[in-house]
Amino acid sequence: MEDLRLVNVTKKFDNFIAVDSINLEIKQGEFFSFLGPSGCGKTTLLRMIAGFETPTEGKIFIGDTDISKLPPYKRPVNTIFQNYSLFPHMDIYNNIAFGLKVKKVHKSEIEDRVQQMLKLVKMGDHVNKFPQQLSGGQRQRIAIARALINEPKVLLLDEPLAALDLKLRQHMLIELMNIHDAVGITFLYVTHDQSEALNIADRLAIMNKGSFAQVGLPDDVYERPETIFAAYFVGDTNLIEGRVIKVEEDYATIISQTDSEHEIEIDTTYHRQPNLDDVVTLSLRPEKIAISRKPPKKKDDFNIVEGVIEDILYGGTHTQYIVRVGSHFFRVFQQHKKVYIDELSLDWEEPVYLYWHDTDTHIIFETDKNRVNSENIMKTVRRK
Amino acid sequence: MERFTDNEVAKIEKENRSSWFLTTPFLIWITFFFLIPYLIVIFYSVLTPGVYDIKFVFSLESWSSAFSATYLDSITHSLVMSLLTTIITILIGFPVAYVIANASKKRQNLYLILIIIPFWTNFIIRIFSWKIFLSSQGLLNNLLIYFGLIDEPLTLLRTNGAVLLVMVYVYLPYMILPIYSVLEKFNYSLLEASMDLGANEIKSFFKVTLPLSLEGIFAGSILVFIPALGTYIIPQLVGHQSSAFVGQLITFKVKSIPRNWPLASALSFILLILVAVLLLTGYNYYKNISRSKS
Amino acid sequence: MTYRSKLKQFFDGFNVVIFTLILLFLYIPILILIIYSFNDTKIIAGWKGFTFKYYQLLWENENLKNAFWNSLTVATVSTIISTALGLLTALGLENKYFKAKKLIQGIIFLPLVMPDILMGVSIAMLFSFLRFPMGKMTVIIAHITFCVSYTIIVIQSRLQGFDHSLQEAAMDLGANKSQFFWKVKFPIILPGILAAALLAFTLSLDDFIITFFSTGRGFNTLPVYVESAIRRGSVTTINALSTIMIMITLFITFISKPIRKMLI
Repeated sequence: MEDLRLVNVTKKFDNFIAVDSINLEIKQGEFFSFLGPSGCGKTTLLRMIAGFETPTEGKIFIGDTDISKLPPYKRPVNTIFQNYSLFPHMDIYNNIAFGLKVKKVHKSEIEDRVQQMLKLVKMGDHVNKFPQQLSGGQRQRIAIARALINEPKVLLLDEPLAALDLKLRQHMLIELMNIHDAVGITFLYVTHDQSEALNIADRLAIMNKGSFAQVGLPDDVYERPETIFAAYFVGDTNLIEGRVIKVEEDYATIISQTDSEHEIEIDTTYHRQPNLDDVVTLSLRPEKIAISRKPPKKKDDFNIVEGVIEDILYGGTHTQYIVRVGSHFFRVFQQHKKVYIDELSLDWEEPVYLYWHDTDTHIIFETDKNRVNSENIMKTVRRK
Repeated sequence: MERFTDNEVAKIEKENRSSWFLTTPFLIWITFFFLIPYLIVIFYSVLTPGVYDIKFVFSLESWSSAFSATYLDSITHSLVMSLLTTIITILIGFPVAYVIANASKKRQNLYLILIIIPFWTNFIIRIFSWKIFLSSQGLLNNLLIYFGLIDEPLTLLRTNGAVLLVMVYVYLPYMILPIYSVLEKFNYSLLEASMDLGANEIKSFFKVTLPLSLEGIFAGSILVFIPALGTYIIPQLVGHQSSAFVGQLITFKVKSIPRNWPLASALSFILLILVAVLLLTGYNYYKNISRSKS
Repeated sequence: MTYRSKLKQFFDGFNVVIFTLILLFLYIPILILIIYSFNDTKIIAGWKGFTFKYYQLLWENENLKNAFWNSLTVATVSTIISTALGLLTALGLENKYFKAKKLIQGIIFLPLVMPDILMGVSIAMLFSFLRFPMGKMTVIIAHITFCVSYTIIVIQSRLQGFDHSLQEAAMDLGANKSQFFWKVKFPIILPGILAAALLAFTLSLDDFIITFFSTGRGFNTLPVYVESAIRRGSVTTINALSTIMIMITLFITFISKPIRKMLI
C-alpha cells in the first residue's frame, strides 16, 4: 500500500513556525484537501511533499520509502502549479512529453502515452499549439496531463482553480473529480476556498497557523467542528458562549453568558457530555434556524427565541437575516424553496421567532472571547 | 536576515560555489587584460621616456610636464568641447526623443530605426563624409556659392566649429535613446491628471514631464560626455592642429616617434581621474535628486 | 475645444518639422558619400562624371581585402569568446545570495564607462611590458576585453525576465539541474545570447581606437585601414568602400527584422 505518511513534519523560518509538527496518514487513492487561510502553512506543507522545501524536523514517507531528503526529480510525486508553469518554448505535445523525454522513454511509447493523456484531459485538438495560445482552463488541463503522464504516486495541486472564473471553476472541479476517478492515484488539493474543499475532497484537513484545526470527512468537519476556528472558517455559523447548568442522560442545557434570559437545550446523544458548570461554545449553522412570524406548532422539539430583524441580505438561493435576540445577534439563512407569491416577505425591524432542533447545535469545548459571534455580526449590520 | 536549516545552508553554499565557478573566468580575464594594464599605465607614468621603448628609470618628469600649460590647455579644451557637445545634444536630442515618444507605437519603431541606421555604419566613414561635405570644394560650399550667399568658399574644416558639429553628429543617438526610453515609459495619466487639475499643457510639461525625464537626460549625458572627453579621431580628422584634444596628445605620445609613454600614461591617468570624479559627483547628484523626487 | 485641436495641429506640424530636420542632419553626409563614390575625380571637387572605376579599384585592392577579412576574423573570434564568457558570468550572477555580486557588477560596469582610448593605451602598454608581439592575437584579446561587459549586461537583462517557476516545474517532472538548463533554460534565453553576440560583433567590427592601439605592424582591420587611407589622402576608393558598407548595413537592418521574428 503506497500511503503518504507525514511524521512530525515541521518547518521553521528563523523565529517563525510555518508548519508545526504535522502528523497525518493519507491512504492511497484518496482525494485529500488542505484547507486554510493564506499564511496557514498549507502551501509550505505541499512544497515539502513535492521536495521544494526540506522539513526542519520530521519525515515524509510514501509507502515504506522515506522521501524527506530526496530532490524533487527523484520523488514519485508531481505538482500542478498555481500558474501552471508550462514551458513557453515548447508546444503542447512536447510539454506533456517532457517528463518522459527526460527519462529517455522510447519515442513510440511517448507518442502513445501523450495521446492517452490528451484524451483524458480532452485536449486532443490542440496538440501543436503553444501555451500562449491557450486559455487559462486549457492550460490547466495541459498541466494536469503533463503531470499525470509520469504516473506519480501522489499528485499535488496548489490552488489550481484560483485563476479561473466561477463557471469555469465549477466545471473544472467536476473534471478533476472525473480524472481522479479515472486514474485512481492520491490527489492532494490545497485551497483557501472552503466550498471547493467540501465539494471535492474525500477527507480534508483545516489548517491554521501551521497546525491542523481538524481532520475529517467533509460533513463531519462541517456539522461537527471540533474547534472554533474550524467552525467559523468553513461556512458561516453562530457561536454562542454559555455555561452548562444542567446535565441529563442525553441532554445538556446551557445558559448564555451574555444573556441569562436564554436557555438552550442540546441533544447530546452523539456528543461528548459536558460537565456541569463547564463554559463551552455552541456552534449553530444559520441554515438550521427557521425564521417566522409565528412560533412553531410543536414547541417541545425546538429551542425558540424571539427577536427583531436588523438586516436583510438577498442572495438568490436564500436570504440572510441578521436578528437581534436580546444582546445576541443571530445569522439566519432562509432557503427559497418556493417563490411565495401570496405571503408578505419579512421586513426590517419586524419581530420574529427563531427556532431550531436541539440536535442542530454542536458543542465545542473551547472558548474564545475574540470569536464570539455577536460582536462580529454587530460590525456587519447596516443601519437602515 | 533569514536563517536556514542545515540542509538549506548546504544548498546555498553549493549555489555560491557554482557562482564563483561561473564568474571566475571573467574575473581572471578582466584582471589580466583590464585591471592590471591600468596599473601598468600608472607604473609607466613614473618612468623615463625613450625614443622607442620606455626606460625603467624612476622619474617624475612626466607628471610635471603633464601639469604644464600646454597639456592643461588641452585638458581644458577637451572638457569645454565635451560640455558643449553634451549641452547641444540635450537641446537637440530632447525634442527629437519627445517627438518619437509621442508618436503611435508603429511609428515609434520606424522612427527609431531611421535614427539608428546611420549609427550602424562605421563612424570613421561618417566623419569622413562630413569632411567631404564641409570641404572648400564640398557640397555645402558649392550650394552656398550657387545660391549667391557667399562669393568665396568658407573654411569650415579644421575649425573648432567643425569638431563640435561632428561630435554632436556622432554622439546624438547616445542622448536620444536614453531620453526616449524614459519618456516612453512615461505615464500619461499623470499628465492628464495634472492638466485636469488646471495646469495647461506648457505648465504640465515643465512641472511633470521635464523632471521625470531628467533621469534620461542624465544617462544620456554620461553616455555623451565621457566618450567625448577621450575622443581622438574626430578632432584628428576635422580639427585644427593647434587645439588638440587630450585624446590626440595621448595618442601622439604613444604612437608617433619620438615616443613619450610616461607622459602618455600621466595624461591617461589624469583623464581617468577626471572621468571617475565626474561619475561620482554625477552619481551623488542623481541620488539626491531621486531622494527628493519621491 | 478648438483651441485644443489647433494646438494639436501645431504640435503635429512641429513634430514633423523637427523630425525631418533631424533626418536631414543625420543622412545628408551619407548621401553625399554615396553620390561622390560615383564621381570621376581624384580629389574632392565638383561633379566630373559618372564612373564605376573606384568600385573596380576596390575590388583589386589587396590590402583592403586583407583588412576586411581580418575584421571579420577578429569580430568572429571575439564574439564567440566574449559571448561565452558573458553567458557564464551572467548565469553566475543570478544567485541572489552571492556575496561578491555587487562587487562584480561594479567591475563589469568599469569598461562601459571608461573612454576607449584608456583601454587602448593600457592594452598597448601591457603587451609592451610583457614583450608580447602585437598583431592579430593582441587585437582579439583587446576586443574580447571591451565586448564582454556588453554581452554580460545584455544576457543579464534577458535572464531577469526568466520565469523561475519553470525550474521547479522541470525538476518536479524529473529533470535534474543540467537537464533543466539544456532543455528549458538555454532555449528560452537563446534570443538574448544571440542579441549579445550580435552586439559584440557590431562593436568589434566598428572599433577603431582600441584596435589602433592593440595592433602591430602589418595587421589591419577595416576601420584602421580606412583611417590610414584618409590620413594618406587617397580618399577616392574610400567613397566606394563607404557606400558598399552602408549598403550592407542597410541590407542587414532590413533582413534582421524578419529573422528576429522567426527566432521569437
